[in-house]
Amino acid sequence: MSDATLTTRPLTLDDLMEGFGSSKSSSETPAFLRELLQEQQELSAVDQFVCDVESHPGPEQARYYSKLLPATPPGPGQQLAFEVNLDNCSGCKACVTACHSLNGLDESETWRDVGLLIGGTETLPVMQHVTAACHHCLEPACMIACPVNAYEKSPITGIVQHYDDQCFGCQYCTLACPYDVPKYHSAKGIVRKCDMCSNRMSQGEAPACVQACPHEAIAIRVVDVARVRENAEADPFLPAAPEPYLTFPTTTYKTKRTFPRNLLPADYYSISPQHPHWPLIVMLVLTQLSVGAFAIGSLMDEFLSPELMTTLRPLHATAALVLGLLALGASTLHLGRPLYAFRGILGLRHSWLSREILAFGIFAALAIVFAGICWLTSVPGWLTPAWSSRLSASLPGLGWTVSAVGGIGVFCSVMIYVFTKRELWNLDRTLMRFGLTTVQLGIATTWLTLWFAGAVLPQDKVALLFAEIARPLAIAVLAATVSKLAYDAALLRHLATYRNSPLKRSARLIVGVLRPFAFARVATAIVGGVIIPLLFLAESTVPESMTWPATVGICLMWLGCVTGELMERYLFFAAVSSARMPGGVRP
Amino acid sequence: MSSMLETLGQLPFASLLHQREGTLTRELLQQPGGFGLGQVPDRLLPNGTTTMVCGYCSTGCGLKIHLKDGEAVNLSAATSYPVNMGMACPKGWEALSVMDAPDRAKTPLLRNSAGRLEPVSWDVAMQQYVQRLRAIQDRHGPHSVAFISTGQMPTEEMAFLGALAKFGMGMRHGDGNTRQCMATSVVAYKQAFGFDAPPYTYADFEESDVLVFAGANPCIAHPIMWERVMRNRRSPEIVVIDPRMTETAMYASQHLAIKPKSDQPLFYGVAKLLIDRGWIDEAFIAASTEGFEDFARFVADYDLSRVVLETGLRPEQIERFAETIHERDRTSFWWTMGVNQSYQGVRTAQALINLALITNNIGRPGTGANSITGQCNAMGSRLFSNTTNLLGGHDFANPQHRQKIAGILHIDEQKIPTENSWAYNEIMEGILRDKIKALWIICTNTAHSWINQNHAREVLDRLDFLVVQDIYHTTETATMADLVLPAAGWGEKEGTFINSERRIGVTRKVRKAPGQALSDFNIFKLIAHSWGCGEMFARWSSPAAVFEILKELSRGTPCDFTGARDYSWIAQQGGVQWPCPTGMESPAQERRLFEDGRFFHANGKAKLLFEESRPMPEQPNGEFPFILLTGRGSASQWHTQTRTSKSAVLRKLYPEHLFVEVNPNDARSLGVVHNEWITVESRRGNLRAMALLTPAVQRGQVFIPMHYEATNRLTDAVFDPYSKQPSYKCCAVKLVRGENESHHTPW
Repeated sequence: MSDATLTTRPLTLDDLMEGFGSSKSSSETPAFLRELLQEQQELSAVDQFVCDVESHPGPEQARYYSKLLPATPPGPGQQLAFEVNLDNCSGCKACVTACHSLNGLDESETWRDVGLLIGGTETLPVMQHVTAACHHCLEPACMIACPVNAYEKSPITGIVQHYDDQCFGCQYCTLACPYDVPKYHSAKGIVRKCDMCSNRMSQGEAPACVQACPHEAIAIRVVDVARVRENAEADPFLPAAPEPYLTFPTTTYKTKRTFPRNLLPADYYSISPQHPHWPLIVMLVLTQLSVGAFAIGSLMDEFLSPELMTTLRPLHATAALVLGLLALGASTLHLGRPLYAFRGILGLRHSWLSREILAFGIFAALAIVFAGICWLTSVPGWLTPAWSSRLSASLPGLGWTVSAVGGIGVFCSVMIYVFTKRELWNLDRTLMRFGLTTVQLGIATTWLTLWFAGAVLPQDKVALLFAEIARPLAIAVLAATVSKLAYDAALLRHLATYRNSPLKRSARLIVGVLRPFAFARVATAIVGGVIIPLLFLAESTVPESMTWPATVGICLMWLGCVTGELMERYLFFAAVSSARMPGGVRP
Repeated sequence: MSSMLETLGQLPFASLLHQREGTLTRELLQQPGGFGLGQVPDRLLPNGTTTMVCGYCSTGCGLKIHLKDGEAVNLSAATSYPVNMGMACPKGWEALSVMDAPDRAKTPLLRNSAGRLEPVSWDVAMQQYVQRLRAIQDRHGPHSVAFISTGQMPTEEMAFLGALAKFGMGMRHGDGNTRQCMATSVVAYKQAFGFDAPPYTYADFEESDVLVFAGANPCIAHPIMWERVMRNRRSPEIVVIDPRMTETAMYASQHLAIKPKSDQPLFYGVAKLLIDRGWIDEAFIAASTEGFEDFARFVADYDLSRVVLETGLRPEQIERFAETIHERDRTSFWWTMGVNQSYQGVRTAQALINLALITNNIGRPGTGANSITGQCNAMGSRLFSNTTNLLGGHDFANPQHRQKIAGILHIDEQKIPTENSWAYNEIMEGILRDKIKALWIICTNTAHSWINQNHAREVLDRLDFLVVQDIYHTTETATMADLVLPAAGWGEKEGTFINSERRIGVTRKVRKAPGQALSDFNIFKLIAHSWGCGEMFARWSSPAAVFEILKELSRGTPCDFTGARDYSWIAQQGGVQWPCPTGMESPAQERRLFEDGRFFHANGKAKLLFEESRPMPEQPNGEFPFILLTGRGSASQWHTQTRTSKSAVLRKLYPEHLFVEVNPNDARSLGVVHNEWITVESRRGNLRAMALLTPAVQRGQVFIPMHYEATNRLTDAVFDPYSKQPSYKCCAVKLVRGENESHHTPW
């Protein structure tokens, strides 16, 4: 290509209109070109071809969909529901795109999805496409989980409606729904979902998906609530779908075919990491750290001399409080619309998230009071002796109260995940994880307090302090870390399971794509929670005063333990496997 | 408690606590759309609508475009268009969004001295185009410049391209990507019926008693045709002939899972059964066909035991198939790429045509030997691309035809080549043999779709000058070009498409093309002007003007549509099927051919054509033990995905990564587990794909969808001797585990 002579500068409009240089043939080209470019920007004349004038008052499509709508509205004890005729679902997925276009959804937003089931034998292979949207459940997990009451289930139609302006974007519903229905919009900061085109339905028009299915596979029917409950007991709802008793989905999947017993979703063997939710990782780890630190502080109150505690308490309470407040700050970063965080406790009666918010709110308030009193009573002369002694006497009790309320908060955190009915997040596992984190990081943070103390207190006091608690604290952090690591490692036994169970998927993720995180989790915990404590326990290196190696050791221990737990919590989110509707082919 | 809450709810700050409406809610507000629409999104409320034909596949659905001041803002399926009856597939629903992609070609791009494509003005682009092509023609002769066109452009543009290239610029060779999809049907029909004439109308789907689908998966490839099958109220028997359990095969009452490429012996065997048992229509055969005696003698060799051996079916399956054709009144035979893309596709298609002919299953409702076309305007291309046929289904080698065309176009007869073009594969060979030095590729993606891709790219690399005209500058072929011409796409220009059932439908300009992109029509005008042959095309001023010329070209031919008044009239009719000769005032919406038993050969008879069937050219062996099948992956993917991959919604609806379907038993013996990334290798290339274990493929076979770029690295460049169509569907491969382990990062 010999075009070295060709101008290579950015184009200007002049270039496009007038052309480069002078060429014999181009003398009349610009005018002709301009004409063509101009013509290209003119649209077909409207009056020439608009064939549909206002002669059709109602929707023309009604001729196809009227038979797909119920003849009568739902009565008492009834509601509206999707009915999918699987025998007619050929997998074209027009429903997904029609829903997208007719509801004006965002570029990549979809409220319906089509999955694939594969199975059968060589002589009788089976593939079955499955279209699914919101099942407008009798006990919608989204609605129960929602801390701001953004969901309502219509008492007449049974449609589960999401109020977009009420949502503050906590995304808890996206974890709670077993069918992956509510979809989070990071740009808007809210969740949106299928409302069975309730606006269309109220005008007698069919939902977009019903209108658009070429094979009339989707219909709206009236179902008896009692029947839905009965079916959930006996009926599998749909092969390989989440168990219907979780939320009582109302969609009916009907078929005349007999499905083979080995029918599995096309994505059954796919394992992919889930969203890690970083703000939640930080929030969970640090709230547990804070609660644990307050609890260890109260324990120390029981064993250490009041004199030592008076100087130690304000430092320890401050460390615990600051990290606790940091945690609560981090949690608001998780909200799509943090300005509306105040709505978070509206769902107190049903939402564990509301309860957690309330519990940690009270915890934070009490902790601030506690820390304030610690400081007030620690500096002689700030209070009258009478007040000082009165307040000092209340501190142990108040400290235990802070820890107890924090403990309730941690329990609410546990229940948030237990509610999602994911196996990795069941009560035993989550309680054990969060509980051990609370203990381990509580102890590790106490070491941090010791370091502060070493830096600010007189040497004799430091020596006394270290002599009394260094060894037991080192043993405690070692024991807590080893227990935690052992408990985490126990998950890997599920690798040996024959079935590709949810826990096996989690284990495969941890030794597979999440291996770097798993490695970091173990390595940091071993450095911080095993090696350093062992060094401290070795006779020669027990810290007796705040030496330089002790400083480094304590910092490494704390950072190691905290990083290890942050990684552990990353895996908690990323490696979870949830029940879901059958999906498509994916790695 | 509750009354207290209600009281609180009345207070002014209550909406802060519980807000049921607001800006976010209003984003999804709906309004009655008018114009026969239901509720539509408020922000996309139209003030006009128009119906136009979709630009993807040959089904030719009517899409109702929602217009705001003449510009498309949304679309829905047209309720009363006689093709799709209010329905559309995902590609149609998303047809507008893919036009907004950021990688639309917005200015011409020229490869600079540093080897990079950079924006230039149209003027520079035209200078380069003209100077370099002329230089090559001067040096190597006019034949040394060739073009590859498409089945995706309106007929008017297709005709303009063919006329400009051959009559204006002196090119001799040009072909279309329709060679890859429909050439087999064209040849089969021309030889058998005397004209490239798919005889059916879509109502035949609804009116059949027996629907035979050979190498066709309409559920996925033509979902809206499947809509018509589902509307059949005659309790039809559905016979699906496909080695694989496809979505369509799931609906079959008889799924004949034959060995790959044993369809032809199967049809001959069934013909023998029908003849032996006297289940044929002798009166029709005598009146309307020729060659029956020879055919009957020929199929005598295809006795049941031979066919059982070759197809792998059980004898009773084959007999049942024959009985079904006999027992039910109306049988229609449908085929797509499983038949067309074969080394013996023409004879296989004719084997089906023969079954229809000897049983008189043609020209009656619910019958026919029916080729389902691929691209939206493959039919327009077949008639008017001026490549292997002279415009309007005429013959370059026929002096009367040349004279007639020259007369209609007011051009010098000498300008019309006297020989037929080389086919696509011959053009590619021509490049290798240094006969072709420059290639102009319009609206197709050779570097992705041509068979034996590694070799194809090497071939394109040998060109002195490669011009690619496309709506995206990122297609695999455009990135290889020396010059990229930015085109306006569907919805940004006017013209007509002809669908599978010969229905002419109209498309409109309802979007403004981005940047400096011009419609292909305008690019051809510009090139004619720059080349100095603008005079020859003075009458080709607009698509509507060219449509008038096309009507004249069709006059007196089987595809005569001189009665189609203009675009508006066609739109009002809901499209119009050819033939529509002058005087046809209000043609019926669904019409089929050959109702009188007369075909287009001079004697009015159809020919029964046949040939000894041959085994697969590349048999599996010890080294390459598997047969690779290729085909459509999902309804949301289209061909090389230059368009469908631009829609975020469509991307969610198909598998993102390349996968290979493997039979679980084969997987077990190789040690391949679910979702494992494995290497699939043929003698020509290899790729990595995720193993999807499914009994839908038989042992010894694997299936890979054609939409992924790597697929054609494997395919074997073998062609049908008559249609020159590539045989994409079968070649030998091996599966290799564990090399270059990258279990979650594909290509």
